[in-house]
Formats: sequence, C-alpha cells, structure tokens
Amino acid sequence: MNAIPRFNSNRNAIGWFAMTAVIALLGWVETVQPMGVDFADLTNGIVTMDTMVRVAILTIVLVGLNLLMGYAGQVSLGHAALYGLGAYASSILCVRSGDLLGVPAWVLGSWWWPWLVMLIGMAFAGALAYLVGRPILRLQGHYLAMATLGLGIMIYILFRENLGFQGQHITGTFDGIPGVPRLRIGNFEIWPISRYYFFAWIAALGAIAFGLNVISSRTGRALRAIHDSEVAAQAMGVDVASYKVRIFAVSAILASAAGSIYAHFQTTVSPAPFSFVGSLELVVMAAVGGLSSIWGAPFGVAVILIIKEILRSRLRVVFSGASGEHEVIFYGILLVLIMIFMPEGVTVGAVRRWRLWQSRKREQVLSPAQPQAGVPR
Amino acid sequence: MKRSTYQNKYQILRYILIFLILAILVVVLGSRKNFGPLQYAQLSLDGLRGGAIYALIAMGFVIVFNVTGIINFAQGAFVTLGAMFTVTFYNLNAPLPKSLHLLLSVIAAILVTTCIGVLVERLTIYPARKSSPLTLIIITVGVFITIQGLSLLVWGADAYVFPAFTTLEMSDRVFRWLGMVIKAQSFWIWGIMVLVLVCIAYFFNFTLLGRAMRACAVNRLGARLVGISPGRMSLVSFGIAAAVGAIGGIVVAPIIRPSYDMGLSLGLKGFVAAIMGGLVSTPGAVLGGLLLGFLENVAAGVTKAGLKDIFAFILLILTLLFRPQGLLGVRKTTVETDGAH
Amino acid sequence: MSRKIHHLVVLLTIAALIVAACGQATPVATEAPSPTDTQAPPPPVETQAPPTPTEAPPEPTPTEEMIGETYKIGFAPAITGPGASLGAPEHETGQMLSEQLNAQGGVVGPDGVRHPVEILIFDTETNPDVAVSVVRRMIEEENVQVVVAGTTTGISMAIVPIITEAQIPYISMASSGAIVKDPDTGVVREWAFKTAQDNFASAQWQALYLTAQGYTQVCHLSENSGYGADTLAQAKRAFEPAGIQIVYEDSFERTGTEFPQVASVQTSGCQAVVVGAIPPASSNVSIALRDALPDLPIVHGHGTCNQDHIDLMGAAVAEGMVSPCGKVMVSDTLPDDDPQKDVLVKYVDDYTAFTGKPVNTFGGHGWDALMLAVTAVASLPDGLDLAAQRAAIRDFLETGVKDWPGISGVYNLSPEDHFSLGFDSLTFVKVENGAWVFFPEDQW
Repeated sequence: MNAIPRFNSNRNAIGWFAMTAVIALLGWVETVQPMGVDFADLTNGIVTMDTMVRVAILTIVLVGLNLLMGYAGQVSLGHAALYGLGAYASSILCVRSGDLLGVPAWVLGSWWWPWLVMLIGMAFAGALAYLVGRPILRLQGHYLAMATLGLGIMIYILFRENLGFQGQHITGTFDGIPGVPRLRIGNFEIWPISRYYFFAWIAALGAIAFGLNVISSRTGRALRAIHDSEVAAQAMGVDVASYKVRIFAVSAILASAAGSIYAHFQTTVSPAPFSFVGSLELVVMAAVGGLSSIWGAPFGVAVILIIKEILRSRLRVVFSGASGEHEVIFYGILLVLIMIFMPEGVTVGAVRRWRLWQSRKREQVLSPAQPQAGVPR
Repeated sequence: MKRSTYQNKYQILRYILIFLILAILVVVLGSRKNFGPLQYAQLSLDGLRGGAIYALIAMGFVIVFNVTGIINFAQGAFVTLGAMFTVTFYNLNAPLPKSLHLLLSVIAAILVTTCIGVLVERLTIYPARKSSPLTLIIITVGVFITIQGLSLLVWGADAYVFPAFTTLEMSDRVFRWLGMVIKAQSFWIWGIMVLVLVCIAYFFNFTLLGRAMRACAVNRLGARLVGISPGRMSLVSFGIAAAVGAIGGIVVAPIIRPSYDMGLSLGLKGFVAAIMGGLVSTPGAVLGGLLLGFLENVAAGVTKAGLKDIFAFILLILTLLFRPQGLLGVRKTTVETDGAH
Repeated sequence: MSRKIHHLVVLLTIAALIVAACGQATPVATEAPSPTDTQAPPPPVETQAPPTPTEAPPEPTPTEEMIGETYKIGFAPAITGPGASLGAPEHETGQMLSEQLNAQGGVVGPDGVRHPVEILIFDTETNPDVAVSVVRRMIEEENVQVVVAGTTTGISMAIVPIITEAQIPYISMASSGAIVKDPDTGVVREWAFKTAQDNFASAQWQALYLTAQGYTQVCHLSENSGYGADTLAQAKRAFEPAGIQIVYEDSFERTGTEFPQVASVQTSGCQAVVVGAIPPASSNVSIALRDALPDLPIVHGHGTCNQDHIDLMGAAVAEGMVSPCGKVMVSDTLPDDDPQKDVLVKYVDDYTAFTGKPVNTFGGHGWDALMLAVTAVASLPDGLDLAAQRAAIRDFLETGVKDWPGISGVYNLSPEDHFSLGFDSLTFVKVENGAWVFFPEDQW
C-alpha cells in the first residue's frame, strides 16, 4: 500500500507551501526590486501588481462560488451583486455615513471603522442571501440560478438608481462613490500597492483555508453527500435545503468581504462591475478553476484576468479596430469548451487526467487490482 | 381532480384580492401625478406591446426547456441576431421594391438565425448532452457571451436604424384614438405574436414531429423506446427557438435602435416572462409576457420610470417565492401528464 | 494529526506573509525609471505603429538635429460600452493625430531636440473598473508622460484618485466640473484638467432659451448614465435662478422599448421637455415624445451634437429640435476673425478626410485634450527624468496655456482654473432639414 503516495492529507500542505512561496516571491520582487527588475518586468509588462491584487480579491469571491456550485450543486448568476453589496457597504458607510446617518467624525476618521463596516457588510449580505435562499432552495431544480439572476440585477439597478431615492446622494448613481479611504491598522496604512498586495493575498489565503475547513467539516461531508445523491443524503437524515442555504449565505459573506477589500483598493466604487455581465464573468472563472476545487479558485481567476490583460494589450495588433469588449468572445468560447470537455473545471480536470494516466502507468507495473489513489474529490 | 378545482376557485378569489390591492395602490400613486384614465390606457397599451415582445422571446425559452430541460440563456443572442441580420440584409443594395426587399430580408434573417441555432445545438449542446443540466445552462451562457462578442465584432457598437413595416420609412404611422397614441408597428407586433402562438400550437398538436417533441418532453426515455431520437428533437427545438427569438428581434427593431447588445435586456425579460408562465407552457409564456409588460409599464409609469427594469425582477423573485410552478402551472405533484402544451 | 499539521501550515503561511509585508515597510517608489528603462520598452500598443519611431521626417531637416527620447501620451477613450458613441470619434481623432504626429516626426523641444511622440490608445469600455486598471498600466508599465482619458464623468472621477496618487498630469474629455475641482471643498484638483464643456454651461444656454421662449415649467428626462445624471443636477442649478421650475424629472433606459415617462410628461403640465441623453437614447426618447405630444418643444443637451442623433430618429422627427453645441458643428458659418476659425476649419477638413464622417463635438474634446498634451510635452527640455517631466507638464498646462485656440473654445488655463471654458464656448443650434444649423439668439 505504501507504494502509492497518499496525497489527500498532504495535498493541502503542498498547496500551501507552493502558493505562499509564489506569492511571497512575487511580492518580494516588487518591494525589493532585485537588479532593478520589478514585478511587472517578469511578464514583460503584461501582468502588473494591479492584476495580482484583483486576482486575490476575486479569489475570495470564487471560493464562495465554488462551494456553492461544486458542493451545493447550485449556480449563482448574481454573485457580482453580492460582491457589490460589500463594496457599496464599505464605501457608503466610510464616505457618506456622516451625512446620511450622523455618524460622528471621530468614528469616521478612526482606523477601525472601515474594518467594522466590512463586518456589517458581510452580515448584511449573509442575511440577505439567507432570507432569499431559504424558500427558494426548498424547491427542486435550478431555481436559485433564476432567483439570483433576478436578485443580482435588482441590486445592480438599486446601486445605479441611488437606491430609488431622489435628491440625496447615497450610491451616487453612475459616478459612484469616490474617495473611499485606504485601510489602516493603527497608523500603519495598507498602501502602496505592494502592501495591499500582501494584505489581499493574506485575506485570499484565509478564505481558501476557510473553504477547505468547510469542506472537511461535518457540513462539507453533508454537502458532498448531497452532491453525490440528494435522495440518498435525505434518506440518511441530511437536511438538504438547510445545508444549501447555509452554503449560499457563506458564499454571500465571502463575496461581500471581497467587495469591501475591492472598495478600499479601488477607492472609487461605481455600479459597472456588479452588473449581470460581471456575474457571468465570475461563473466563467469558477468554471475554469474547477467547480468543486477550492484550490482551483485562484487559478481560475488568474487565468481569466491574465488572458484579459494579454488580450487588452495585444489584441489590437491582431485585429485592427478591435478593442476591449471583444475579449468576451474568448471567454465565451473558453467557457463552452471547458464545460463540454472538462465540466469539472480545467485544474481539476487536468489533475484528474494526469492522475489517471499515472495510475494507468503504475497499473502496468504493479498488479492490476491496485485501487486508484489520490483521485481528488 | 376535484380537489384541484376546489383549490382553483379558492385561488381565484385570492388573485382577485391581490389584483384589487394592486389596483388601489396604482390609482393612489397615479393620482399624485394627476393620471386620468387616458394615461392608464396609454400605459397599458404600451405595456402590452412590450409584453408581446417578451412573450415571443419567452416562447423560445419554453420550447427549449420542454424538450431538453435546459434554460437556454442564448435566447437573447438569437433576438440580437434576428434584428441585426435583417438590418444588414435590408441595407444591401438590391433592385427590388422596398416592401419585397424588407420581406426577403426578414425571411433570410430568420433562416440564418435558425441555422445558427441549429449549429449552436450541434456544436455545444450535443457534445455535452450527457452532462448535468447545470453544465448545459452554463454552456448556453457561454454561447450567449460568444455571440454577443461576435456581434460587436461584426456590427460594431453603433446603433442602427430600421424602417417601420407599414410605412417602410423611419417614421411610423401613428393612430390617434380618444387621445391615445398607437403606432402601426404595435399591431404588427401583436399580430405576429398571435400568429407565432397559433403556428406553434399547430406544430405541437397536429404534426408528427411536434408530437414526437411533446413525447420527448413528457418522458425522454419512453420517447426513446418508441423510436424518437431525443438528440434530433433537441436540435429541432433549438432551431424553432432561434427562429422565434429572431422574429421577436425583428418586430421590435423598428421601435428601438437595434445594436449588438439589445438581446441582453430583452432576453432577460423574456426569461422572466417564461418563468412567470411556468417555463413549460407556451400559452403560459404568452400570458406571462403580456402580464409582465403590462405590470412593468404601469408600475414604472406611476412611480419612478428609471426603476422600470427593477419591477420585472421583483416579479421574478415573487413568482419564484410564491408560485414557482408559474401562473398557469399546477403543483409538481400533479405534473402535466397530458402534455405540456 | 493531519488536521493539526494543516492548521499549523495555515498559521505559518499567514505569519510569513505578514512578516514579508511589514519587513518592507518603506517600499521603493513604484517607478524609478532609468534611461535604459525607457529605451527598451515592450513594443508599444498602437493601432498604426510605425516601424521605427525615429525615422526621418519627410521635411528636409538639418542632419545634425538631435533625436531625443520618445514621449508617450496615454490615450483611453470609451471605444466600446454605453459611452461608445462619444468615445468612437475621440478614438478616431486620436488615430488621426497619431498619424499626423508621425508624419511630422514628433515635436521639437525648446532646446531644438526632436522627440517622436507616441499616442498609446487603450479602451476603457465605459467601465470605471477597466479604466482604472488601464490607467495604472499606462502610468506604471508604459511610463507615459501624460494621461488623456475618460470619455464620461464617471470614468474620469474613477481615474482622478489614481493620477493624483501617481502625480501624473491628466486631461479628461468629460463634462462634469467636479473632475477638476472638488465640489464640496472648492479645491482645484492639482493634476486634473479637462476639455469638455460643463453641463452647467449647457444648462445655462438651455435656461436662456427657455426664458426667451417664455417657458417657466419644464420636464427633465435624463438617460440612465453618468452624463444623464449630471445634466439633471446642472439643470437644477441653472434653471432655478432663471425662474424655471422642473415639474417632472425622471430617467430612462437606453435599451427601453417603451417610455412610460411620456404619460407623466403629459399630465405634469410642462411647456417644454429638456432631454439629457446621448444618441441613441436621445433619439429614442425624442421619437416617443413626438409621437404622443407632437407640439411639445424638445431641448437637448450638448451631448447630442453629432449626426447620429439626427439619423437615428429621422430628419422628420428631429426637425426643429434645439440644443447648445460647440462651435465645431457650425464652423463654416463663423466669422473670419473668430480666433478658433482656423483650427476649426482644419480639424473639420482633416476629420472628414480621415474618417469620411461628419464631425461632432466629442472628437473635438479629444483633439483639445491630445493637442494640449502634445503642446505640453513639446515644451519639455531634454534630459529630465520621468517624475520631473510629469511635474513640468503640469506646470506648463497651468501657466503656459494662454489664449490657446482649441476646438471647444479658447483656453486660458491657470492654477485656479483647470478648464477655463465657459458659457461663451458653446453656441446654440437647431435641426433643419436633417442637419445642424446655427441658431443665434436674435432668431429665438
């Protein structure tokens, strides 16, 4: 038996080491600039720090979406709006709450207020997801997809239409809310971008750790049971709907946290990234990363964002007159191809194929009765 | 069966109550803007016109869902393609009278869009036919994104103009009646919607292919056992859905300025209409569409019109929460054994 | 056991990252460009890149002329997305200027050193998120000297914090006054300039016209966009002193199939409708209003000043609609002593020759912004480092631009005013037989 290494328990440890090493190395290049080479030079200017911070932020969203899609078997077509809830909660409460709610200036100016606001946003998003999800997830089928689609567009319109109020500026309609403060811990400001890079990645790794914990907990086992067979899980006494609702709420909370981190990174929050198209983009990323793979999340985001950057800076050379929005063609084709050929996602699909190939090779050497090992769940 | 009629009676009372409350609310809100009967009539008429377009698009969703169990998010793309191809063909120089040119452009556009629908099914749905419905839904989302991107590449970001069917000019004939204003195009839209509905009903009830598709909708395995190929039925359903979507795009083209992204919002509204109609019945989809258009326009009229789109999605959430089986649907326990149409 | 290892690893990871983050508490500035850096950049992204930017200009030039470093102007209009009908002419103007600059061989500095000028074109997709990313890329990776970006107000407002932080001169092509001056504190934004007329100036013209017509109650319909929202805000500011009351205000969707707003316009009793929208939205709402209320006068904002606006609703519907517009729309009817006349006529000729389309004001905003940038980089002495160049450009824009004729107006920038065009840079026009014609005050 020992002839076959069992990766299942140590795989995460390997993932942690690899991930941390890469992130720390890239961050070190940016901050120290050995031999005058900064981070962007590594990729000939295609991937910048800006991109890497976005990857980290969206990884947090994607961990939640992966839990929902891969383990609860539900797709959310409005996740960008939940992400937006966090961004708007942070920006409204940090910038406008003095005028709107009469929050005293010393609170607004304090370093802990943005962090508190982040928690408020997470609580709000979680509660909203729970309230909407509870009745809908009791139904069979893909009703959550439709409900989140509606919910997402509603929230987007509310952002855009100043929450329906006239006169007073709350969400600032299309222009959004400028001037979101940078995050601070005491007097330590998390900026310039290299500091924010570390902060965002610590948060992203925290989200990954959290996601891994969820799937190896009781909830995770129940979810896997549901994923394999809902009927069987129900027969074993698993309250299917309640687990699905919980996971939906958790994914909303993660999305909202990411939104807050985004708001403090971008400093201007406007409705455009939280539209239906934004939600579709998240689904594409989830599909690339792998629907039931927490480790796939950062890869899914990175692949899409890096493709985006390459297309943005190089596409014009190929098609004259082509511009940014055309990149969606590639997303679309990519999404379709992945879903047809590797419905479990590129990372998972590739790993699985590699393992299969390896175990086949081993089967030729060892006895054919050896069980397959290390197949990821 | 008896029990369900009893329930129906009870429910009708409940609907009347809800309707009354809504009507009072609308009148109260409308009175703040000095709305008279004329305004309500105008808002309703406009709403029903928009609703007819939603209904046309919703029928496409229903046809595909019935046969394959997929919610086809690419439906909106077919709407765009129908309108944009018609514009393109119409703008070609041809030594033809305008009306014939328009008719030929429309037919050609429907044919091309149908071919694209068939192609989409063969290239994306068929290879993944054994996957879960979730995967297939995501595939249709991918198809939508691709087609919208390609439309941008082909037609650019500009808005195009398309002549009204009656005058063959940019400005349509306008009928004024008791102070109400009705564009001639509205009658075209209503007429074509009814025509499509009748054609679809005929197809599914009186043709062999249509009946085979219904059989497939009721029980895929059973249909297979009697020699119906679900793959072919899926192909045909995508073709019909594309054609119906294209028709929706073409009839709406003269009243909006078609552009590459018109399908997104129209497709989403059509989707809401289909859900309101229960996703399995074409008459339900038409009812859902008309109701959606009507409610949305009246609600936007009496409140803030900038919020118009939000009402559609409020209706979507309400439908899912309180009547997931749709307006005409029955609870899942007594699911339609007498065919979906 | 493995769980414990797992937790330990998580903790170690996070601790390692925190140490790594705090260990470099004083990071090096994001760019410390050495001359070699700017000499060997990645191939520039440009639509029509000349093979070598240093190729000899066509004019007979003294052979001993020195060729200095290439100046880069980052240019990001909204080529796609909801702002595309504004951004596309800006983009075309950028391509045209880029070609002209290449043909001239760049600019000659005050010390006689010739510098090629590259205009790096990017697309903001009318999405602030993309815009910020693109501008960061221009500043940090492409090392541009000056940023020209932002077709709409929302985009520009998202860019302002980025350029302020990076200390790089920025010229916006959007209309809101808030881009160059903080509306709350009244402080001029140090690094931001703009070239598009304020919606306030436009609203002042509208107020003047409405007063001349004797209208005191108007309706305001604005498109669901940054531009639309700003027209409403500025209309409120400008109409109140003129005694004009907005009795009904609402917004509408660009993709809407019907307009429930019309019923409210009907019952609100307003004497005219002011529409704040850009084509195609402006055309759609005009048709709906004309159908239901054929006699109600419609006044548009200066966002409609292009031919699309008329073509998309048909000449018959557009007939008689008025709007304030830049002088570029009526350049041939201007008197010869107008300081802008030469610039306008040349621009109109160049633009129509280059694109084959009629001119519009938005291309003009792009021309002004880019030419201000070109003029500013031309003033740089050779041999400055990037940060000094950027600061010098900013100082030049504040102090060196006096009586500078552009397409939108005659600029007189100063430390107190980073825009300087006002009410008189616009004129009033009317649609007659499917074309814009000058509509002076004495004909009202």
